Amino acid sequence: MTRPRSFALRVNGVDRTVTAASDEPLLWVLRDQLKLTGTKFGCGEGECGACSVLVNGEVYRSCMVAVGDLSPGDEIVTIEGLGQPGRLSRLQQAFVDHTAFGCGFCTPGMIVTAESLLRSTPHPTRDEIVRAMDDNLCRCASYPAIVEAIAEVAGDDSTGEG
Amino acid sequence: MRVDRRTFLELLGSSTAYAFAFGCSDSTPPVSEAPVPAPMLPETDHGVRYFVDYTEWLLIHRDGSVTAHTGRVEMGQGLATVLSNIISQGLQLAPDKVEVVLGDTGRCPDDGPTEGSSATRIVGWGYWRACERVRDHLVERAAAVLGVEAAKLVYRNGAVVGAADPSVRLPIGELADGTVHVGTIDPRVPWESSTRYVDRGTPNVNAEAIVTGTLVYTGDLFPGECSYGAVAEPEYHWMLSKVSSVDIPAAVATPGVEHADRLGRTAMVVGSTYRSVQRGLEALAPVWTVPKRPKELRVEAEIREGAELKRMVEERGDPAAELAGSAVRLAETYLTQYATQAPIETETAVAEVEGDRVTVWASTQAPFKAVPLIAERLGIPADGIRLVSMPVGGGFGVKVDTRAPDECAAMARASGRRVKLVYSRAHQIVGLARYKEAVVADIASGVDGEGRLVARTLDLYQDEGYGSEETYAIPHVLTRLFRTPMPARHGTMRGTSFVQTCFAVESHTDELARALGRDPFDFRRSNLAVASFGPLLDACAEGIGYGRGGAGDGRGIGFGICHHGGRQLGAAAAEVRVDLATGAITVERLVGAFDIGLVINRNTVTATVKGAMLWGLGFALFEEVLLDGHRPLTRGFGDYRIPRFSDVPEISIAFLDNEVKTPAPRGCGELPLIPTVAAIANAVTQATGVRFHVLPLTPERVLDGLRNR
Repeated sequence: MTRPRSFALRVNGVDRTVTAASDEPLLWVLRDQLKLTGTKFGCGEGECGACSVLVNGEVYRSCMVAVGDLSPGDEIVTIEGLGQPGRLSRLQQAFVDHTAFGCGFCTPGMIVTAESLLRSTPHPTRDEIVRAMDDNLCRCASYPAIVEAIAEVAGDDSTGEG
Repeated sequence: MRVDRRTFLELLGSSTAYAFAFGCSDSTPPVSEAPVPAPMLPETDHGVRYFVDYTEWLLIHRDGSVTAHTGRVEMGQGLATVLSNIISQGLQLAPDKVEVVLGDTGRCPDDGPTEGSSATRIVGWGYWRACERVRDHLVERAAAVLGVEAAKLVYRNGAVVGAADPSVRLPIGELADGTVHVGTIDPRVPWESSTRYVDRGTPNVNAEAIVTGTLVYTGDLFPGECSYGAVAEPEYHWMLSKVSSVDIPAAVATPGVEHADRLGRTAMVVGSTYRSVQRGLEALAPVWTVPKRPKELRVEAEIREGAELKRMVEERGDPAAELAGSAVRLAETYLTQYATQAPIETETAVAEVEGDRVTVWASTQAPFKAVPLIAERLGIPADGIRLVSMPVGGGFGVKVDTRAPDECAAMARASGRRVKLVYSRAHQIVGLARYKEAVVADIASGVDGEGRLVARTLDLYQDEGYGSEETYAIPHVLTRLFRTPMPARHGTMRGTSFVQTCFAVESHTDELARALGRDPFDFRRSNLAVASFGPLLDACAEGIGYGRGGAGDGRGIGFGICHHGGRQLGAAAAEVRVDLATGAITVERLVGAFDIGLVINRNTVTATVKGAMLWGLGFALFEEVLLDGHRPLTRGFGDYRIPRFSDVPEISIAFLDNEVKTPAPRGCGELPLIPTVAAIANAVTQATGVRFHVLPLTPERVLDGLRNR
């Protein structure tokens, strides 16, 4: 374990400074220092996807990203950066409309992962949705509705079997 | 902190409290007494305990809003939504006028743990019936205030109005005064509602908070303002092993660690960050006592040896004689695996301790069960302890008996800090070992010359639970439960023992049909115990396209039926494809038909039911905790496979209600998974011609079966 030092992070479009050991996982820095608790701890081993965040538009498991491995220019986006109560993103609204969750604990990670997919592939097929989402686990198994929600945002191109 | 009647009235301020009890209609508790925890009725034949003699509270505030209280919790099943729907419709109020307080022992009555698919059925529908009585009472009170006959007034949209003269209007907030007991409600007694509940398909009340990451779960409380705690995870089953030595100085010397000590049979570390306490645990290097090696689960004869008869579940007629004399007999043994609940949110608690005053926030399905455990652990009276249940990030049974609240309270007191205890994933799986129990089922059936089931014996060997499965009309039955020391102790897990029993009975029923040269669907159809199963099976056959060919040579369709929680009935059909070269099974379609009474919210129920069917898929195909003696080998999602996106088949579900006259919800959180397991196993047999007696149906096991066919 290294000695704590300060790091400059850009999170949800805002410059922030945090103090942490350089090998401290981004997950705990987001949750405990920046109080962004939408990013969840599920396993700490990169197996479940509940802690998914975007770094420069790509999905990362924040439990596996050491804060010291980030560059000052990296754009980190958490679930809180995608929409807020009363101002939901299209994807968030689609999750609401399809009841694409049970307990909701994995949902932020699901939405962040789907957001990344839709940014790189705006009109994914269903197969592409399943492939992109497959490493995110939902124990309530709300998978069918999650696929429906993403497919709706993806538009008509995704209605085929791919 | 238990709320007594006096404190409760102080909390009220200028509101009206409507109190009502669920229980036997002839034992109305006097309203002047504090609500007491229910003495439990004996278990019913379906395993659900009803609580009697407790009191629910519904408050009507001066501004016309209402607050309902229940000790049950929200864990993804949609209870908050269901209660909001029921009360806003029952009192004809806008949804934002209805507040529901769940699982706070300082504010809510103890109306039982959230388990057994019973919250909507008992608490939800109890509130619907209570709303009816509250409306009547408000009309009577308005009549007294106005000096008119009650018959001239009606209740409408949160007010009492003149039936003929709408200018006469008294909002309910203005009628608020004092405490009223509106009687006792027995959820078991059918009852005709004077009004009809209509499902309007509203969104989950927590939906916006969930999708924005702003719903506050236990771990999200006090960010940056708590110490973290950790408990050493036992190497062996926690009840059979304890820490024999720990290196406390090494743990305390770990950067960030604030406190380390033994904790009961295990040990604890408190420190500044989640990671520092995990490192502290490593430094603690606990050594565990080694328990005696148990019987081998996979050696059935060992499991049967020395088993004690724990209970005669069912005894009817003379099955031994009838079996001996039946035209066709079949005896088989089935074996199911250990499985773990694996909620994505591990068990979590936050605790503050000041002398004898303790507040614990926790992810628990049974907040009132945690209070005496905290009192015992700290050696303090229970009345200073308040347990606040937060939204549960998945429970599935494992959070009924969570020890995180009392462990966390012990850490908070020992360290003098506010502590947040978040179990590691490995601790969640290994340390608790409250698994779905493995079961060995010996089953024998006899059929007469006309193809009717005449006799069945079922002997279940397991740790604790029981399985009764009365799906078929059989005159001679013997079902016995044997208790035998198993490698792991059981815990509560979705579907409890119904899953294992249904797998055995439904596999066996299929096999019996094959032995008779009968179609398994028709054989089931002609031997049903309850006629209501018929339309459910028909709906499944229709939905899956049964009888349209395409079976065999790696493709197959199978069925399963079950009941659960009293009057919930379910049927499932599965279509599978088996790769005969690799043994890999793909479930291509699932169809379910369920008789669960009134649907309160189609959104929450659909999510729950489809999810439960996917649980059936996981249990049938791959979920398994592996043990070496008493030592769990399975440690995380890397080696405990749960259903994921790529496993999901096309799923269609239907709800059939056979009691349209007096509709009421009957619960459905567990039911759909039960017949799905058997349907998949039966489809695999149809696809391969091989009967598999052991779950899960891993490719290795399937290949093995194919080689030996």
